[in-house]
Amino acid sequence: MSTALTASQPRTAIALGRLIAGRISFLPTLLVALVAGMAAIDQQFYGIINILNILRNASFLAIVACGQALVIIAGGFDLSVGAVVALASVVSAKTMAAVSATFPGNNAIIIASGVAAGLGGGLAVGLVNGFCVAKLKVSGFVVTLGTMSATAGVGLMITSGIPVYGMPEAFVKGFGRAQVFGLPTAAYVALAVVLVMMFAQRRTLFGRYVYAIGGNVDAAVVSGVSTQRHIVGTYVVSSLLAALTGILLTAQVGSGQASFGGDRMMLQSIAAAVIGGVSLRGGVGRVEIVTISALFLTILGNALNLLHIDSRLQPVFLGVIMVAAVALDELSQRSKSRV
Amino acid sequence: MSDIELSVTAKDRGYTKLLPNQWLSRAMLPIALLVILFGFAVVDRGVLSLANLLNIAQQTSYLALFAMAQTVVILTRGFDLALGPTVSMVSVGTALAMAGATATGHDTTAVLLAGLGAGFGLGIACGFFNGVVIAILGVSPFVATLGSYNIAIGVATTLSAGRPVQGVPKLFSQIFYGGSVFGMPATIAITVVIGVVLQLTLARTVFGRSLYIIGTNPRAAAVAGLPVKRILVATYVLCSALAALGAIMMTARTGSGEPNLGGSLSLQAIAGAVVGGTSLAGGRGGVGTAVLGALFVTILSNGMNLTRIDGYVQMVVLGAIVIIGVLLDRLRLERR
Repeated sequence: MSTALTASQPRTAIALGRLIAGRISFLPTLLVALVAGMAAIDQQFYGIINILNILRNASFLAIVACGQALVIIAGGFDLSVGAVVALASVVSAKTMAAVSATFPGNNAIIIASGVAAGLGGGLAVGLVNGFCVAKLKVSGFVVTLGTMSATAGVGLMITSGIPVYGMPEAFVKGFGRAQVFGLPTAAYVALAVVLVMMFAQRRTLFGRYVYAIGGNVDAAVVSGVSTQRHIVGTYVVSSLLAALTGILLTAQVGSGQASFGGDRMMLQSIAAAVIGGVSLRGGVGRVEIVTISALFLTILGNALNLLHIDSRLQPVFLGVIMVAAVALDELSQRSKSRV
Repeated sequence: MSDIELSVTAKDRGYTKLLPNQWLSRAMLPIALLVILFGFAVVDRGVLSLANLLNIAQQTSYLALFAMAQTVVILTRGFDLALGPTVSMVSVGTALAMAGATATGHDTTAVLLAGLGAGFGLGIACGFFNGVVIAILGVSPFVATLGSYNIAIGVATTLSAGRPVQGVPKLFSQIFYGGSVFGMPATIAITVVIGVVLQLTLARTVFGRSLYIIGTNPRAAAVAGLPVKRILVATYVLCSALAALGAIMMTARTGSGEPNLGGSLSLQAIAGAVVGGTSLAGGRGGVGTAVLGALFVTILSNGMNLTRIDGYVQMVVLGAIVIIGVLLDRLRLERR
């Protein structure tokens, strides 16, 4: 299978190799420079509390961004991830509160049902997205714009905008705020997600087909890839990962909130993917680089906070750096292709 | 509209067969509009009252303006995520300039000119940034305007310190909100004039036609010798200038510069354009589709407000409508 793929798109493979080589040196250099600079300027930066804080936030962003990256690689867009984070948080918290009223004290059942309900909510949104994009052939941008509004509406409807409490202590203290070997649980979850996604991208048919579809849909169809199923798959994975993040956030904060995620998380996940070298034209991108870029964005935000830069001015930096990173990449590719 | 005529003459064999079909697809959205309007009127008579119809027209005029702005760039296969923050930034800038000019003791004409200059200046600067980054540097419209989205939000909240900017002169509100032209409220009059001018530009000028060509086939446009980069920059400037005009009108309505004025306008404007039948694939749409879409979204939310449908349910309905609207559009295309 992989031989057929590389044979059919040798140019993409070369461009891919070049891009990754360029990225790998570019982004980590930036990251190391940022970390070194901050460590020199501010002692607080490498304080254990701050590092844990960064790791936690980077984990949330990385999980969502991995799903987003997969959708973009297949040539789509998922604007609904932020709303799915909120929906999963609210649904899982509500379910846990309801189940703990009927089975008081039975933590295993309560937590399992809450997590299942949250992931179920995500799955539903992902299926709707995938169905509309793959079967009904509506553009991914519009479909997920619609489901974003609808999902956010459902999340607010369920809660009337009020935080949902009543989940078991074991879920919050034992899982969400717990640390294993000194690291937050969210970091392990994120690491597991990234490793599984890396494996899926490199070694599974699904991962290879996603590249094929994003690279050239017609070629993929002609080669016998059932594109529809795989496109649905990318949207489902993206929504499930967003739901997972919603559940992790709920566990950490200790309440289900419809204000989690939102537009900010959605835009940041796309920014992380794009800065991480995922091409919006489809067919190109690696989750591990996206993860580094999620870490970079989180540390950047943290650094701006520590440097006491007005929180109102921070978006300006984020915007400039995002455009600059992508423009530099575009220009460097252009000069390479000229040679 | 004339792009449809072109496609009809191109396949003149199916001319008679196509016409009723096209007529039907053209009329589908207006018919749906009337059905919705009368449906709400059954629940609440107030929907069809003259006061409410005027209210709908006035509300539509803002969204229509933003949808037109968005349509111009969507025609070239782009879109402007930064439209909402641009509106916020222009609102704050306009109010600050006018407050400053008033404080330094200038007369009212100078104050108004300062406000308009600052507003359009900021808007055009934002559009120029978008255009250069997209056309010259080759960054995708999504990333470029997501970048300027953040920048504009930062500028708007920093300039205003996050608070509404007071000191907008009464005259400004009287002209751009309270005023009327031949008995027509100023907001509606401005939007109508802009709509007519824009439609003529799109349909009858080289610049307008080249937008359709770039959207339909960018490579062919470049091969045909169109200065694609320059046109794209101009397109984004036009989009942001229209957004700035809308922002000035909205600032006149609220009577202060609001750093959150734009809110979710970017996506609302895209939704309006797309529901009206503008194609995100580029090359299809115009003033008509933008106005229809804006009218549709406004009537729907106005009706739901009057019939006291929960605000959160409204979000769900609007989301569903956006998807259904695009789905219908696709089916329409397929039949053709």
